[in-house]
Amino acid sequence: MAFKEIDLNMGPQHPSTHGVLRLKLAVDNEVVLRVEPVIGYLHRGMEKLWESLTYTQVVPLTDRLDYIASLSNNLGYVLAAEKLAGIDVPRRARWIRIVLVELQRLASHLAWLGFMANDIGAMSVLLYGFEARETVLDLFEEYCGARLTIHGIRIGGVPRDIDAAFAVRVRKVLDGIPKWLGDIRALLDENRIWKQRTVGVGRIDAADAVAYGLTGPSLRASGVDWDMRKALPYSSYDEFDFEVPLGRNGDVYDRYLVRLEEINQSIRIVRQALDGLPEGEFSAKVPRVLKVAPGEVFHTIEAPKGVLGFYIKSNGTDKPERVKMKSPSFINLQSLEHMCKGNLFSDVVGILGSLDIVLGEIDK
Amino acid sequence: MTPFVADVLIPAGKIVAVILYPMVMVVVMIWLERRVVALIQGRLGPNRVGFQGIAQPVADALKLFFKEDIRQRQADAFLFNIAPILVMFSSLLAFCFVPLGEPIRIGTYTLTLWIAESPVGLLIILGLSSVSVFGVIFGGWASNSKYPLMGALRSVVQVLSYEIPLGLTVLTVAFVARSMDLVEIVRRQESAGVWYGFLMPVSFVVFWISAVAETNRAPFDLPEAESELVAGYHTEYSGMKFAFFYMAEYAHMVLVSSLVVLLFFGGWLPPLGGVKALAFLHAVPGFVWYLVKIMFFLYLYVWIRATFPRYRFDSLIRLVWKWLIPLSLLNFLAIALVRFLL
Amino acid sequence: MSRLKRFLKMAFLVDILQGLGVTLRLYFSRKVTVEYPEEVQEPAERFRGILRLHRDEKGEPLCIACKACQRACGTNCFDIEGKREDGAKIMRPTKFDWKLDRCSFCGFCVEVCPTSAIRFSREFRLTGTEKEGLFFRLPDMYLAGEDLQTHLCAGCRRPR
Repeated sequence: MAFKEIDLNMGPQHPSTHGVLRLKLAVDNEVVLRVEPVIGYLHRGMEKLWESLTYTQVVPLTDRLDYIASLSNNLGYVLAAEKLAGIDVPRRARWIRIVLVELQRLASHLAWLGFMANDIGAMSVLLYGFEARETVLDLFEEYCGARLTIHGIRIGGVPRDIDAAFAVRVRKVLDGIPKWLGDIRALLDENRIWKQRTVGVGRIDAADAVAYGLTGPSLRASGVDWDMRKALPYSSYDEFDFEVPLGRNGDVYDRYLVRLEEINQSIRIVRQALDGLPEGEFSAKVPRVLKVAPGEVFHTIEAPKGVLGFYIKSNGTDKPERVKMKSPSFINLQSLEHMCKGNLFSDVVGILGSLDIVLGEIDK
Repeated sequence: MTPFVADVLIPAGKIVAVILYPMVMVVVMIWLERRVVALIQGRLGPNRVGFQGIAQPVADALKLFFKEDIRQRQADAFLFNIAPILVMFSSLLAFCFVPLGEPIRIGTYTLTLWIAESPVGLLIILGLSSVSVFGVIFGGWASNSKYPLMGALRSVVQVLSYEIPLGLTVLTVAFVARSMDLVEIVRRQESAGVWYGFLMPVSFVVFWISAVAETNRAPFDLPEAESELVAGYHTEYSGMKFAFFYMAEYAHMVLVSSLVVLLFFGGWLPPLGGVKALAFLHAVPGFVWYLVKIMFFLYLYVWIRATFPRYRFDSLIRLVWKWLIPLSLLNFLAIALVRFLL
Repeated sequence: MSRLKRFLKMAFLVDILQGLGVTLRLYFSRKVTVEYPEEVQEPAERFRGILRLHRDEKGEPLCIACKACQRACGTNCFDIEGKREDGAKIMRPTKFDWKLDRCSFCGFCVEVCPTSAIRFSREFRLTGTEKEGLFFRLPDMYLAGEDLQTHLCAGCRRPR
């Protein structure tokens, strides 16, 4: 029986595609030739739905896009809407937003870490990553009442102010995260099996990464220094002191290291934000019924998965005429084929895990 | 003692014991694996079915028993049905040659704690555990689907490759003990005063790694991993047939642990048994020590599974052919040389 | 020297033993499992559980049927009608239909309510077996605890 060029199907129901994603693989004796992702299994018609809702009513629905990091989606849309409507957000609100969004980045990366390690076989790391993530989700629950679809950023600011007691609890959580990271790194970083599965696997060099439109930590792992928080700072990020970790080889191992380092940087940013939180209002005064003058805007932010962009076109009413969302996972998924070519098909799962995609974002 | 009792009843009792012993250990293993993996991961594991969940294996067995036996259009129905039996059979049969302790005197009768003692017991056990490879091939072939076949082939390559360092390290023990009889090997360790695991640590480590790979356990469980594409040779099996594969894997684990304990850790000998001050340790029956040691290795199996990622197939094969086989060859030569000189 | 060190680390399985050490330590650590349903983890104070209507200290309902919640809701969960009795100072709802299966728990209705009549509770056990259990009429909006669970299960009478 000759095994030349078989078509394999990683169906929409699979424990390791992060959501309902179908991958059609063409494999030659274990070496991957072609990967064709088939998406759309989670399409809910979000962009069309948003056209029938007011600007404020859209915000809770953006939670459901990248459901692992919902505050980032909130921020992306809200910043675009505020830019269009010409709303000035008070400085304190901007800093509180940064606290929330960087905590969310931390939580998103911890979830990613758990999933990727589980796909490669280290199943305990999944539980450790999630135990660490739960401490952060407890903070969100305390802040605004929900753990996953958080809706903690509103047009004009944030829904509630944070007090000193909350800051104390945030600091306690931030102190606990490095212990978990230390354990996970001791389990994985130098482990020979982990390195054999990840070093040199799923390589993409800088030029190809930029050509494919890859963004986020996957791009930075290939050595390209592009982080929206530094390149086109938004919402007071220019007032903070943090580094953007870069990789060298653009393989799975580098993506893993880059995201681990980003967790440390997020902790750093949150500490700075809590230490220097300015006085002021936690929200601008926004009319109950927000009517926006006609115009269009496109605004991008650095979500944990990559560059998230919202394009909003308004026609003077209180409902947007068209909202288009540029999701990072959708663009990142394109480069999956390039990364998988030439690797064994056991690696496809690891490479997909390192790309960190969320189907909610891809399918909208 | 009438001839009937001595020649019929006692051997029949031993046969029943030999079938029950691995089955009981399998039941214990199912529970142990789920609890220990859970506790390592920071959660509790099964703790509702019976006290601390010890009846969980019963629940699992009942579930598998009542599952529908799916029959698809097989390539070969006979092979499909016989595959799980072969795998189970080879593991159980090997237990006939595994001694559990020194013979016990009851009155005038000496009860031997094994079914058969053979001067080449070691070889027979190794050979029998290789018969399970047939079951794997038959299962993969008869499933009439390319994914189980690929999984079966990978599993076969893995098992066959890892038998080489397994055999070589076992040879070093046979060399030092000057015998392939398992009872003799344990007695030699007693008279030598030191267990072979401490005398030949390289042999032990290579043997252990090969044993974990032989039993298709993590981190060498790519052929049957759930998150990979190919789910292994037992994809198409359901119900009791799948249960057989499952139980045979655990029985094989117990067999391999027994071998490790017999060859490298003194079998039924108490630790530090030669020390006069600790002579009270001999009061504990050898069988208990044996069980304690086997349980340690079963724990080690589960502990390793919960900790490490999975080897990719080519890394696995590269590991054995480039590292373990040369290492075990060199180890064998070194030990042979030392034995020759001393 | 560092090549030798790396070789020795590889030969003596240092990274393997390090990993095993981590999991051994965590084997003995405190487990975070909450054994539901015997133990129930109380959610935070501001947890967005199911919406409930509230009464004031005198027992009078706070809802004045202004329909602000209906307008604020993005998923059309509410269907409210109100009437002012002759001689009364405020309107009262005559119909207050709310669909649990449409609610996205966003909180807009709670934020816009002028009298804080509708608020989140901390009840998160919201499963039922019939669709009628997910539909709340005016008297159902005041249910809590066991009565709420009975309503959600739509009276299926299976032991919980």
